[in-house]
Amino acid sequence: MLAKAVFSHYRRHPVQLLALVVMITLATMLWTGVSVLTDQARVSLAESEAAVAGRQQVVRSDGQAVTVNDFALLRTQGQCVAPWLEVQRPGAEGRVIGIDPLALGCFGGAVPGGTAGEQLGAPFMDISEAVSLAREQGYDSRLSLLMPDNVTLLPVGYRAQDFSMGPATGELADSFLLNLDALSVLVLLITGLLVRSVYRLGLAQRRGSFALLQRFGVPWGRLQWLLVLELVLISSLAIMPGLWLGSQLAGLLGGGFAQALDGLFDVTLYAGSQTAVPWSALWIMLALVMLVCLSDWLLPRHWQRGMRAKRLWRWLLPALALGVGLLLVALAPALWWVFAGTTLVLLGVGTLTPVLLAALADGLGNRSLHPLGRWRLRELAVMLRQLALPVVALQLAVATVLAVQALVTTFEATFDDWLDQRLAAPFYLMVPEDADGHRGAQLLAELDGVGPWQRVIGGRVSLLQDSGQRLPVDLFAVAPIGPLLDQWQLLDSLPQPWQRLEEGGLMVNEQLARRQGLRPGDSLTVRLDEQQIEGQIAGVYADYGRPAGEVMVSADRLPEDFSGTSESLSITPGEHSIQAIQRDLEALWGVDNLSVNDNASIRQLANRVFDQTFMLTRAISVLTLALAAVSLLIMGWVFFTTRAWTFQLLRVWGLPLQGVRSQLRRLAVTLTLAVAVAALPLGIWLTWVLVSRINPLAFGWSLPMAVYPLFWLELGVLCAGIGLVIGLLMHRQLKPGAPPPVSASGITGEER
Amino acid sequence: MVTVEQLGKGFTSAGEPVPVISGLSFQVSRGASLAVMGRSGSGKSTLLNLLCGLESPDRGEISLGEHRFATQNPAGAERDAQWAQLRCSTIGVVFQEANLMPALTLADNVRLRAHLAGQAPGAEQQWLERLGVGDLGQRFADQVSGGQRQRAALAMVFAMKPALILADEPTGSLDRHTADAVADCLFAVQQETGCTLLLATHDGLLAGRCDQLLDLSRPHDHG
Repeated sequence: MLAKAVFSHYRRHPVQLLALVVMITLATMLWTGVSVLTDQARVSLAESEAAVAGRQQVVRSDGQAVTVNDFALLRTQGQCVAPWLEVQRPGAEGRVIGIDPLALGCFGGAVPGGTAGEQLGAPFMDISEAVSLAREQGYDSRLSLLMPDNVTLLPVGYRAQDFSMGPATGELADSFLLNLDALSVLVLLITGLLVRSVYRLGLAQRRGSFALLQRFGVPWGRLQWLLVLELVLISSLAIMPGLWLGSQLAGLLGGGFAQALDGLFDVTLYAGSQTAVPWSALWIMLALVMLVCLSDWLLPRHWQRGMRAKRLWRWLLPALALGVGLLLVALAPALWWVFAGTTLVLLGVGTLTPVLLAALADGLGNRSLHPLGRWRLRELAVMLRQLALPVVALQLAVATVLAVQALVTTFEATFDDWLDQRLAAPFYLMVPEDADGHRGAQLLAELDGVGPWQRVIGGRVSLLQDSGQRLPVDLFAVAPIGPLLDQWQLLDSLPQPWQRLEEGGLMVNEQLARRQGLRPGDSLTVRLDEQQIEGQIAGVYADYGRPAGEVMVSADRLPEDFSGTSESLSITPGEHSIQAIQRDLEALWGVDNLSVNDNASIRQLANRVFDQTFMLTRAISVLTLALAAVSLLIMGWVFFTTRAWTFQLLRVWGLPLQGVRSQLRRLAVTLTLAVAVAALPLGIWLTWVLVSRINPLAFGWSLPMAVYPLFWLELGVLCAGIGLVIGLLMHRQLKPGAPPPVSASGITGEER
Repeated sequence: MVTVEQLGKGFTSAGEPVPVISGLSFQVSRGASLAVMGRSGSGKSTLLNLLCGLESPDRGEISLGEHRFATQNPAGAERDAQWAQLRCSTIGVVFQEANLMPALTLADNVRLRAHLAGQAPGAEQQWLERLGVGDLGQRFADQVSGGQRQRAALAMVFAMKPALILADEPTGSLDRHTADAVADCLFAVQQETGCTLLLATHDGLLAGRCDQLLDLSRPHDHG
């Protein structure tokens, strides 16, 4: 009977129950969706690392792809090689790998793919099945030939290479996943606020019933247990569909996500690595709901009373949290300090915003000479105080969208710059292993009418440190130092840096500069095989997405016998056709079928992949914004039922219905616009934290900080739109007739 | 000033039509006061709502000075606009409760009401003092007693300088002593300004102070 009396609240207020269930379900959906995707990506990352760790593959010296004939030839010559056929299935189905268990016999214990390879479990299958699958379904496939890493001697025409599917951008993938994690935690925080706001509203309305039951002799402890039981029941019912919806969301976004990871970061979402519904999310969400709804009970009662009574605490504690948080983030020596500081800042801002905005509205109201304007501003202050939680949730959501948008746009622009830097010429071709790159460069130099070109040699060298130790770094040697380097973005430099580079100077990438504390003007010694290059650092260049330190020198300074790991020619054909240049080089080097890469298509592909990469991030932030807007609408609706009589009073005082509605719309739009304005500094700060604090601490390189005022404007218009929709929906509550009576004893001061 | 002829109004409750006022006619001259009495549910508040245009009659006609309102004449938006204009500057309405904006001080409430009526600002303090709450002008509604709130509500109404005051149980939630004090103020200023007063009340003493009496519990047709 007691339970029935307690639980009857939601029977009388089904909209509140619906709002609570919807909030919990959507929060679970967003959290689960992101968790499934990031877990899946991490599992794939780990699997791909485990599968290829320390492995080598055989490649042809002429740069052609290996075929089954190469496999047969190598096996007949007694080489231990095993085929590895990757079949790319579309969308989220993931990639499968065909292997030959018999051929793997000669690898001994070092079987590629670990035990999975032996058991032929997903993503591994017998190579004959993989071939059939690729042929029957028309899927793309790629054959590699693996070899144990202790083999050094290979027949002529073949060489060993690390088994890697593309450039090493693992840390960029980590950065992406870290950003996703941070975003999902922020989403969890926002949705937590929303759940709390809906629940606390219901609890406030039930206070009278609880007081009555206590007067009837029911102990408060018993009521608390019943409320916990009720919340567990509601949460469990709401979380289950949320888990399912989250998996569906992950499935929906999984295709693009898989392509993004594969294309940009070389992380393959293998078939079978999809995780099932993450049941851990059930406990996380349940704990979150309990914490956000019932955390007040954890504080001793006299503390709660004290904090309510002392206005100072409302300012002092959050201001303290904000100050400490800002300091932590600014001075953080490690990533976790940044996260802790950010949490404190969000808590401080979240607590202070409604108080500050309400005080501002009150202050402006006091100064307003127009009586109706004064009333509107004071009413706005009341709304800000009463709707503090959904207001803060909307503020955080807007700030998140703002930061994510700025990050994505900055990342995109930077990535574009990086592509411009590395793909400066329209075409590039790899110099075959046995060919003389210097002669190729001479040919280009002597060719009349050819556009800007450059020879690029990559290699591994070491940096001689003061302690005498050697630090391995990448080498980027380029010559001639010409217009193709104009696109390079220098973060710091001496005057005329390119001229200095040509005359014997050096440049270092940002990662190396940060790690070793190097600055332009410092002297550096680079150790090649037997020789060394010394020079002054002429500049520090941005080099995104790679963890490795790199030194740039003029290729003319390299000794003739220097053997790099790769060599290429970037070419602008000018008056010639690229085909003609290709034929000349093939003739010079005595090879056929030189592979020419069209940089425009690489750039196009990279941009397409990039769009997919951030579709997920954008989708999550926009979903969060929509959720916060809906929450403000629900809370505004419930709040307005207690406030409609004041608007009705305006009608009684002769303001036409249209006039009253206009006041309501102006109030709602002012509220959401005020939230948008309050979100702006937070969003800019969050952007700064992402690009200038988290990235350097996690990966050693920072992104340039950029702001996008046009997007602020768009977001402002969107917020005004949200306010307008809220105002229009509230119109329905303005019914004809006198305002409903308000009990004189019911006026407690909460109304202002 | 106020003429009501054959007024009828009903509501629907649980799907059944419930007539509240039927065939009601009466007249109140300028500067006079009329007490509307009757048991709960007899239609006192409905009548006052009809007389200020917050509800529309099903039948009959209401005349306020030169303004005449029949069931369909004027129609729709024009009718609403005319009533709004009348409530704004001519008709002052006082309820038993909920007369003040809780976000505004008493003085700001009076100022807002006068502003909507097109009165020049500056007289609010004078009206609050006239009603005996001059020292409470900077307080909010929750910071004063029920009686003080009703005095402030009357100050608001008088500050707009209305020709007609409709008061729906203005002392209903007050104790005898406070109710008398509020009523004293109401009648004194009504006499002073010469406005017409229609007062719905259960209080026989209060009704006795009015010039005319309309008992809605009895068959209608009063002059």
